[in-house]
Amino acid sequence: MTPERKPSRLSYLTSGIIRENPALILMIGLCPTLATTTSARDGLGMSAAAAFVLIFSNVVISLVRKFVQPSIRIPIFIIIISTFVTIIDYALQAYQPGLYRVLGVFVPLIVVNCIILGRAEAFAYGHGILDSFLDGLGNSLGFALLLTAMGAIREFFAVGTVFGRALTPAWYRTAPMLFMIFPPGAFLLIGILKALVVKLKLGKG
Amino acid sequence: MNSRAWMVISLLITCIVATFALSEVYAVTKPKILKQQVDATSTALGQVLPQAASFKEVEKDSLWYGLDHAGNKAGIVFRVAERGYGGPVPVLVGLDTTGTIVGMRVASPAEGLKETPGLGLKATEEWFTKQFLGRNAAGIVLKKDGGTLDAISGATITSRAVTRGIAHGISKYKEHLRP
Amino acid sequence: MNISKIFIGAFLVNNILLMRFIALCSFFGVSTSLDTSVGMSAAVLFVTMLAAWVCWVLWHALLLPLHLEFLRTAVFILVIAGLVQFVEMFLKKYVRGLYSAMGIYLPLITTNCAILAVTFLNVDYGFNLLQATIYALGVGAGYSLAIVLFAAIRERLEDSPVSPSFKGYPIAFVGASLMSLAFLGFANLFGISV
Repeated sequence: MTPERKPSRLSYLTSGIIRENPALILMIGLCPTLATTTSARDGLGMSAAAAFVLIFSNVVISLVRKFVQPSIRIPIFIIIISTFVTIIDYALQAYQPGLYRVLGVFVPLIVVNCIILGRAEAFAYGHGILDSFLDGLGNSLGFALLLTAMGAIREFFAVGTVFGRALTPAWYRTAPMLFMIFPPGAFLLIGILKALVVKLKLGKG
Repeated sequence: MNSRAWMVISLLITCIVATFALSEVYAVTKPKILKQQVDATSTALGQVLPQAASFKEVEKDSLWYGLDHAGNKAGIVFRVAERGYGGPVPVLVGLDTTGTIVGMRVASPAEGLKETPGLGLKATEEWFTKQFLGRNAAGIVLKKDGGTLDAISGATITSRAVTRGIAHGISKYKEHLRP
Repeated sequence: MNISKIFIGAFLVNNILLMRFIALCSFFGVSTSLDTSVGMSAAVLFVTMLAAWVCWVLWHALLLPLHLEFLRTAVFILVIAGLVQFVEMFLKKYVRGLYSAMGIYLPLITTNCAILAVTFLNVDYGFNLLQATIYALGVGAGYSLAIVLFAAIRERLEDSPVSPSFKGYPIAFVGASLMSLAFLGFANLFGISV
């Protein structure tokens, strides 16, 4: 019988990217995934903002975890997380007003993003600072990859551009699959992506 | 120290640190945010009424007088936002003293334009806005409504929001053109 | 903005779940059974309205006058967390049946994006207390409508032949896509923009 191996440092980083990708595998943090991926740039911007909060709150929570009693850990997590959300909120307003306008209410909604509270509870509260940082980074990368990809796909099919660069001939851009940019398109895309993931898993097992 | 007391103290410390940190961030960013809004407005105003050297806000967020170097009125700029497909379509229009449109600008999505990408969003494109230059009140009618302006194909609602808005604005503010 | 437009806008045209993508985690998690969906909608409606009132009052009576706007996010989410805690204790004591039926979904209401979104939007739209109440009611009703309809569909989907890779979440998403398409039909109803 093989002894159970302690997860390596590196796996803290990599598990969040593919194997346990928060939005695609664990199915958390769905709201911004569907709402802000109307273009590649917006998907990237949203995940960057969420990454800021995730990484910093993971680190801070890990830093103070010895001083936080289990019974009041949730309120303390919430205060810490909302502090970073407010910081990125004002930072975006001041330095990236265009992105802020597009993301709208989803910036403050980062505070109820299941990914951040989830990682705080499941990981940062019980692990060291470096490990928590890696975990936050890994999940952020996974989230960013998915959101940017979805944004790019939706933007491509709907208006024929990716990151604003036209990749299709002009005739396509006059009669595109516009619904991809609307809510039904978002639901459909993530349904297809999830089905692909399941198919891959079924194929392996 | 007993755990009950520590619970309250740790909560208090967290709140105090958080509040302090946030008030600092707020103090640093608020001036920049305010300044940005002012700068954005000045730039936009200058774009639609280039002959003006300075602007004076007459009606908050709706009407400005453009003044030349001597302080005389060179024209006016007004802002209208008629409802389009996804929301109001903000348009900034510069009129010279004869009531002719010398500049026109539709807000970008980053500034709150909520029309359909690939269709209504084209209202910001130059081929559309250029048409309005040199026209006066009588000429702001779409071809499909009997006039000479090209609408955005597939985005009649947005196109009409722009023309209606400009027409309303001109009739509402034209009295301000008098020196 | 008049009252009925606010309600119809929140309930149908800009349906919080199917058009604005808010509260999706609970949407997919809870809608596997019609009963839990009904229970969840009732709880969400209740907490949303309470939270809307408390946050609106706190904003106008405390945060704004004292120039503490930057504490909005923290205060609002803590209020919601507290209210959910309160509802949990209340149900545990007086409505045991619903409490055990809802299980883990009850504390999850805290992370329900819809409630926080309502409290924020009430401030951003500049609603007075009456408008804020109607908006909260509209959002709660819209949430209930979408989740109950969806649960009914999902229960049917359980017994339908679905290809293996689509079973579960994927086909649910496709279903939601079609529902969302239907709701898009409400766009510009009564002149309310999407």
